Amino acid sequence: MDRAEIFEKLKEILSGAMENSTRLDALNEESDLRYDVGLNSVGLLYIVITIEETMNVSFDGVLFDDFHKVRDVIDYIEAHQ
Amino acid sequence: MSLGFCAFCEIAQLRFQREISMLTIKANDNVFDKYADSVTLKRIVQYGSVSEMWGHCLSEYGLMSAVVDGEDLTYSALEKRIALLRGALLENGLKRGDFVGIYAPNSVSFVVSFLAITTCGMCAVLLPPHLNGEAVYGCVLKYGLKALVYDSSLRETVSSVKARCSDVCFFSVEECVSSAESGSSALRPVPAVDVLPSENCCVVFTGGTTGRSKGALLTNGALMTGVRYGCYGYSNVFFQRYLLILPLTHVFGLIRTLLTSLYTGSSLYICRNNKDMFRDIALHKPTVLVMVPALAELALSLSKQLGRNLLGGDLKTVIAGAAVVSPYLVTEYGKLGIDLFPGYGLTESANLVSGNPEMRREPTSVGFLYPGIEARVVDGELWLKGPNMFSGYVGEDEENSSAFEDGYFKTGDLVRFDNDGLLYITGRKKEVIVLSSGEKVSPEALETEFCKSDCIQDCLVCASPSAGEAERLILQVYPRKSYFKENGIGYSEAFVRKEVERINSALPSAQRVSEVAVRDNDFVRTPNMKIDRARN
Repeated sequence: MDRAEIFEKLKEILSGAMENSTRLDALNEESDLRYDVGLNSVGLLYIVITIEETMNVSFDGVLFDDFHKVRDVIDYIEAHQ
Repeated sequence: MSLGFCAFCEIAQLRFQREISMLTIKANDNVFDKYADSVTLKRIVQYGSVSEMWGHCLSEYGLMSAVVDGEDLTYSALEKRIALLRGALLENGLKRGDFVGIYAPNSVSFVVSFLAITTCGMCAVLLPPHLNGEAVYGCVLKYGLKALVYDSSLRETVSSVKARCSDVCFFSVEECVSSAESGSSALRPVPAVDVLPSENCCVVFTGGTTGRSKGALLTNGALMTGVRYGCYGYSNVFFQRYLLILPLTHVFGLIRTLLTSLYTGSSLYICRNNKDMFRDIALHKPTVLVMVPALAELALSLSKQLGRNLLGGDLKTVIAGAAVVSPYLVTEYGKLGIDLFPGYGLTESANLVSGNPEMRREPTSVGFLYPGIEARVVDGELWLKGPNMFSGYVGEDEENSSAFEDGYFKTGDLVRFDNDGLLYITGRKKEVIVLSSGEKVSPEALETEFCKSDCIQDCLVCASPSAGEAERLILQVYPRKSYFKENGIGYSEAFVRKEVERINSALPSAQRVSEVAVRDNDFVRTPNMKIDRARN
């Protein structure tokens, strides 16, 4: 998958954790996972598990706290897919 | 003064002229007996100490799988490592009654450390692995630790503490065991000693009733009572497969998962990272999971979203606690053939106070008091006394003097009992909102009402203004998205608001919320995944 496709897939996964479509529409690579997307520890766990389950990417040996922005997650998936 | 009794527990209700209401309740010691077969019931015995329980485990389950953490260790194989660590502790001059810290993530190292320290008659102080060097050093001083047993993954942090504590012994579990096994050290295995129920067993950190972190001291007798309580009320008790998800430094992980697993001859599979929880479930097929409601909710919604049961085909029992469990979870897990038991407990009560037995469940209740517990409800607050209660907070004289009265521990939780003796948590004393009218409102009681709606996953009630006398109640709700998908309804905020209004209008007028915010993201939560009231 290229970067744009990863972003779209990630947006689809994030929609499972966000009810507000306006906020989802405003999502971009610079969006902050905690402040803009509103993920807490359970939400982050949800995202990581869903990516592993649906995109065949492993987050082994990675600290969730290392991901701050949507861009960080896309970078990781791009490098590890 | 009025006096009443019920069939399930002894209740005496007293009302004094000074307008303090008091209700005394003594648990019915046999209330759980009818929910287990006689063979199982016979096996549920009270051990006086971890040492006695562990001796029983070795004689009964020696060759069975005890802990799986990459490698699969039988009870006997585990004992070989424990005996070597006992040898290291004693060889270095440590004595019975000494306080010894454990600084390790969920791992075999933690299990070996805990069992070695406690079966030597020493007291284990459980340091959460996320503590930094400064905090660990602070604990060494505050609790007068004579030694610190650590996991090698935390070596870097430990080295900064070592440099400042010349009179404290430091042991890496892996190094002790491997050097003895390879013959490079002269370390000799040492057997367990007999330990009395009254001897100190461990110190577990808790926010307690005031929110400030403190160390709750539990004796061997209290701890083993807590372990026994965890065996009551359901049929699949012995020889199970447990997956450890919760931290072992928390009583729910330590007592209700690790020690209950050992006590019952079960196997404990250690999940090192919660993100691998479902991978581990598929691999190890646990029959029992002990978790907090937020994780139970996550497991359920992911299973629905991905279209397959991520909980594994063998899971029969989920023990949920440490936060409010919604009736929705009980029902939905039931549809999957999984019994989800909401219970109630505290660090100060060695984890368990009450539980819902199989076949007699009331999803909104936290069940019956366990045998031997005596409760008082004083102005709505639950006070507790019993063989499972802690001895006090270590080094907190002021806190201890206000935490106990008449031999009872004042929990700070607001509760009620129904006529059958079932316990209901209605709020926290410190969270009570006093409205300008003088009326008192428990936000948790209101939250429980709103969470009865299946379309609401979680909610929070607070007052505005936040300081001083409150003028109005504000509700924040986080909708349960899976509800809309399951029912073929497109999500709409208006639907959620209508549901809130339906519940709100049925409440007494003083308790109705006057402002509603529908959140599009979950609440900020504490490390234990409870809603963080101060940060939402």
